[in-house]
Formats: sequence, structure tokens, C-alpha cells
Amino acid sequence: MPKRIMVVDDAMFMRATVKRILEQAGYEVAGEAENGQMAVERYGELRPDAVLMDITMPVMDGISAAKEILKTDPKAVVLMCTALGQQNLVIDAIKAGVKDYIVKPFQPERVLEGVGKALGAA
Amino acid sequence: MKAEFIEPFVGAAFSVLETVTGQKPVRGQLALRTSTFTTQQITIVAGVNGNVEGVALYGMSLATATRIAGAMMASQVDELNDMALSAISELGNMVTGNAITRLSQNGYDVDITPPSVIKGTQVEMSTKIPALVVPINTPFGSIEVNVALAEVAMAAAA
Repeated sequence: MPKRIMVVDDAMFMRATVKRILEQAGYEVAGEAENGQMAVERYGELRPDAVLMDITMPVMDGISAAKEILKTDPKAVVLMCTALGQQNLVIDAIKAGVKDYIVKPFQPERVLEGVGKALGAA
Repeated sequence: MKAEFIEPFVGAAFSVLETVTGQKPVRGQLALRTSTFTTQQITIVAGVNGNVEGVALYGMSLATATRIAGAMMASQVDELNDMALSAISELGNMVTGNAITRLSQNGYDVDITPPSVIKGTQVEMSTKIPALVVPINTPFGSIEVNVALAEVAMAAAA
């Protein structure tokens, strides 16, 4: 059974790019969400093995969504995938229980390395 | 506007464009723009807030936007459809995100708003303060990086 990943990003282009990278590596994209609120709701329905989450999104940002998901499921595997690389955000995310912090623009290998390690450690 | 505010955006644009298109850009001459101006065919608008506030605008022709979107999508793009517009918007998000990461390394506490894309040449834009502009030339066409940022006076601690 392939591992199931949920992709969260407000940009359709990024969701399609990450989906292609993951599917070519043998993962299943269980679902997508375009803001943090939708991600929290869809996580409860889909229970994916991991979540790749953007930060800058309308309605609810990715850090808040990651905290909500980890509050309801402390074993959730959440990775941030964002254009923001400020040290305070990275620390905030890691303290919240996020497994990895990938900065855009990224090479496909970086995403696969992050997801692979996070799932391996889960 | 402090000239030091534009350098993180130019550096970020160079770095992001080279990564997503595989082509090295060339920097043009710095200029000052009046606070009211008319947009190019495609303008990506990203807001910056925190102890530095304002806006970053990335202007380009429709042909340039279409070619860059094609390079980002690694496919032939003939028109700026929804997916191509999303790619161009994400370019603005990545450049601005990368730039404010650089600003934060210089001691500023800043965040960005999700970018918007404006299509059309007859749109009059107004920024609070005059923008600094740096054209960046790429094999896909020229992109104008416009940055209008000002420091916000923080209230003194009680």
C-alpha cells in the first residue's frame, strides 16, 4: 500500500507540482486543500500518513493549521513547505511538532527526502 | 524609502528565477518611480507587513509571463490560463517570501500576504511612498521589481 499524503497550498500550481513529484515517487496523494481551515477539516476525513503544508494562505495560515491538526492527532506527520524561511517561523513550527521545514523553491529530491525521513521516523 | 530594502528583493528574484527557470538573470539600472503609475500587462502584487510595511510589485509583459510560466511548468504554455497564472503568482510568493527571509536576517520582523495577479495595462496603481525599481532581464523577457516599503514606528513599551 502506498503511503497517503495530503497536499495543502493555496497555489494550484504548487499543489500540482508537489502531487506530480509525490506520485512519480510512488506515493498516493490522498487529497488536497487550499487553506489551513480546509486542511484541518480534510485531515479529519482523510487521515493521511503525512501532510505537506504551505504557510502563507488565506483563511488560516499553515502554522495555525499544523498546530490544530497536531492538537487533535499528536502522531500526525506534518511537514511545512513554504517560501518563508525566517528562523522564528522554523522554530515555532518545530516546537509545534512539525517534522520538517522545506523552503521554496525546492528541488524534487528535497521534498522526497523530507517525506521519506518523516514517514520513516513516524 | 531606504535603498537597503530593495536589495533583498533583487537578490531573492535572482535566486528564485535561476532555480525555477534554470536561466541566469541580468540586473538593470535602479530607478525611483512616482507613487502613482500604470501597471504592465501582468503585475504580481504582494503585501508586506510587520515593522516594515508596504508592497512589492513584479511587472512584466504577457509574453514574458507566459514564457516564465512555461519554464516553471516544464511544458509548452501558449496562453496564461489558470494554471499558468497560478505559477506566476507563486513566483511572486517565492520571491517575496525569500526577500522577507533576507530582511528578517537584517533584524526586521516582517510577514507577507498571499499574492494577487493583476492583468491589464490600464490599471493605475498607487503606493504610499515612491517605489524603487530594478529591472531584471531574463532570456524570457524583462521583469520589473518594484518595492515600496517603509519602517513602521513601533509604540513605545509601557
